[in-house]
Amino acid sequence: MNRRFLVGLLLLWSLGPLLWQLYTSFCSDQALTQPFASIDQRWTLIHYRNVLTANPPFWRYLVNSLLVGLSSTLLCLVLALPAAYALNRIPCQLSIMSRLALVGAALFPYVLLFLGLLEFARGLNLGNHLLALSFPYAALSQPLAILLLNNAFNDLPPELEDAAKLEGLTLFQRFRWILIPLISPATASTAILVFLFSWNEYPIALTWISDSSKLTLPVAMARIAGSSIYSVPYGAYAAATVLGSIPLVLLVLIFQKPIVSGLTSGAVKG
Amino acid sequence: MTLQIQNLGRRVGKQWIVRHLNLQVDNSECVALVGPSGCGKSSTLRLIAGLDSVSEGEIILDQANVTHAPATQRAVGMVFQSYALLPHLSVKANLDLGLRVRGVRASERQQRIQAILDLVQLQDRSEVLPAQLSGGQRQRVALARALLRDPDVYLLDEPMSNLDAQLREELRPELRRLVLDRHKPVIYVTHDQHEAMAIADRIAVLHSGRIQQVATPADLYHRPETLFIAKFIGRPQINCFKPKDGAICAVRPESLFFANEGLPCKLISREWLGSSQLLYLDSPHGSLRLSCSTTMEIPETVHVSWHSSDEHHFDATTGRRLT
Amino acid sequence: MIAFLLLPALLLLLVVFVGPLFRYAWLSFHADSVVTGLIAIPNGGANWLRLVQDQRFWQDLGQTLRFSGVSVGLELILALMIALLLDQRWRGRDVVRTLTLIPWALPTTVMALGWRWIFNTPYGPIDHFTRMIGIGSLNILGDPHFTWMATVWADVWKTTPFAALILLAGLQTIPVDLYEAVRLEGGNAMVCLRRITLPLLRPYILLALLFRLAQAFGVFDLIQVLTGGGPASSTESVALYAYWNALRFLDFGYSATIIMASFILISLICVVAWILLQIIIPTHSKSQAVVEP
Repeated sequence: MNRRFLVGLLLLWSLGPLLWQLYTSFCSDQALTQPFASIDQRWTLIHYRNVLTANPPFWRYLVNSLLVGLSSTLLCLVLALPAAYALNRIPCQLSIMSRLALVGAALFPYVLLFLGLLEFARGLNLGNHLLALSFPYAALSQPLAILLLNNAFNDLPPELEDAAKLEGLTLFQRFRWILIPLISPATASTAILVFLFSWNEYPIALTWISDSSKLTLPVAMARIAGSSIYSVPYGAYAAATVLGSIPLVLLVLIFQKPIVSGLTSGAVKG
Repeated sequence: MTLQIQNLGRRVGKQWIVRHLNLQVDNSECVALVGPSGCGKSSTLRLIAGLDSVSEGEIILDQANVTHAPATQRAVGMVFQSYALLPHLSVKANLDLGLRVRGVRASERQQRIQAILDLVQLQDRSEVLPAQLSGGQRQRVALARALLRDPDVYLLDEPMSNLDAQLREELRPELRRLVLDRHKPVIYVTHDQHEAMAIADRIAVLHSGRIQQVATPADLYHRPETLFIAKFIGRPQINCFKPKDGAICAVRPESLFFANEGLPCKLISREWLGSSQLLYLDSPHGSLRLSCSTTMEIPETVHVSWHSSDEHHFDATTGRRLT
Repeated sequence: MIAFLLLPALLLLLVVFVGPLFRYAWLSFHADSVVTGLIAIPNGGANWLRLVQDQRFWQDLGQTLRFSGVSVGLELILALMIALLLDQRWRGRDVVRTLTLIPWALPTTVMALGWRWIFNTPYGPIDHFTRMIGIGSLNILGDPHFTWMATVWADVWKTTPFAALILLAGLQTIPVDLYEAVRLEGGNAMVCLRRITLPLLRPYILLALLFRLAQAFGVFDLIQVLTGGGPASSTESVALYAYWNALRFLDFGYSATIIMASFILISLICVVAWILLQIIIPTHSKSQAVVEP
């Protein structure tokens, strides 16, 4: 088969649904019901205006998600970096066992944890605190982060750290001057993946947050859908989808390399 | 300043990596550790540096017992085989890091780095990254870093094995001058016996984690304590005859000479070595190696002899030297 | 010192992963609902007995397994084709690879509603298409025969890029010499695929399979937003059922029982898959999990 045809098909498959949302978001309500007919008043920006002037305005959710994403990523890295380093310094058997356990935890469908985490949030009164979401998020991305960073530490020549020890650098100084700078590519990959997870996470945000000004983007989107399947304001929704997708599309386009290397590094090394 | 190692051993699991090591290295003395790969040379260095933990025995540096002191607190200057330069820092920053964490003032650091760069002749390369340096330059930076540390002992772990043969020969006297000028004990690990003989005052031969002999290069060559050393030191390799009455007789190739009477041999092949030639001979006692002057014409069959004073005798079972 | 570095991460992992599981095990033997005033009262094995007799649970379990099996199967086939296409050299390949990654990066809920619009009857493009080619309106989200297929479609769309990426990474580890050797012996593309690509790719395929199977079994976001479990619970997954029980019926004891049962089942499935993996893959090839956050 012709390669150009296959690539075209692939792009249509991947981007078609998104482009349809983009198209919908500019259609007037009347045009929505007749997407292929010719109508005078087809194009409009009304949906974008509605979404951005709603109460709370749409950008609010973007800011919320951004805050949660950044704080989770930071917390996750602060915990995962030392742990990933220490994982190479414990007895070999124990290290292999821990890695297996981490792989298991990473495979685990985390949605099953929602009830336990909900009770936890109730017990500690963490519900409706946006930044409190960082704890479950950092914890849920911990297995992946530790495995990826551990791979990166494994790849460093051990003499670099040995030489630094002989120069009199303490553990903290070695982290500061040698380890952190040298594994920064892996750290960047990990950070982006954790950020993506936190940005996209739904079930836990759904159960922890109910205050409409504190919703994260995924929950806000689901809420727009409302309770009825039949009366979703699709135009407004499409506009929200487009606005909500732009940051992620940019993120993927800009950080394509670290994302790909992060996702594949675990698979290729072993 | 002396380094003393007493009955040193390291065990991983049930396996002893090195054991029963005894060695004393004096001020301004360079001792080479040689042995086949996996014999425990580098492990010994790592124990002295404090990078691995000691299972038994003691390390005494200038009368102080440092056996269990952490690496960060030992005054040890080490040059690694891979040089271990930080790839993200310039030459200057590489050298600066250790001084800075040891709390040396900025002005003094600047001055000391400049001096050391002058010494290793890298004044104009101070701002470049290690990746932009040649192998020999990298090695000199690694050496400069060890010198800047002003340590109580120098440990050089195959510092030349990543360089090509010619450069190695050129750098040898340079290295000796730079390090031995500091009047500190030096341990030099290498798998290259020529390098060891050229650079070291004494050589310690390691085999399966044990020191077999510590001696000057000449002693090691002329009075090897074990059959292993006799075979390991000296190229072309020593000739060993078949064991007789529980003893093995060995003779160096250059000790053999042609004679009218003696072992009748047939010439198999010859190798041209420049200043000499190496002959492979077939004798009733097995094949022999003989090295002789290149001017000599060799007939198809020859008679070979040697002085009995050039014979080395070893116990056939233990490999220990007899007499 | 080492313990000090490991401890915070370990503690957090224990609290978030192990803690809830123990809590579920405990709760599943307690009544804890509005009836008991949200106070846990031991009720022996009543929850478990109820689970065994609960038609809806078994129906949901069957639906979840059908969803997981079909979507993971389709996804792997599609991912292999995409990976093979992206493994070849052609201009613009890197750009295309980046673009195909976009569906994976978007929040599931965002695109789930997007799909709801695409599958909409009668305004969505799919409905227009089926009417245009004469099949007529299918009422995709209203007819249980089609709704589950729509969920599979949306799931495959979202998760295939990830599987394709793993398989592509695997393809790139295969030395080109091998293909050249087969070509020299006169083998064609089909022989290359069967004799080289698939055997050497097996660890990656099984890795992607194991990971995706576990994740698909826990499907929640997509179903909740796309169909709400309907029509008539025909697309409800066990995770969604557990969610309804906890948040709508406020029956925490029973919800915990459902989750515990799901956990045991998915562990069994993974153990079986793991054992199969040990049997199928030669011992020299190790592979390690890659995980989608």
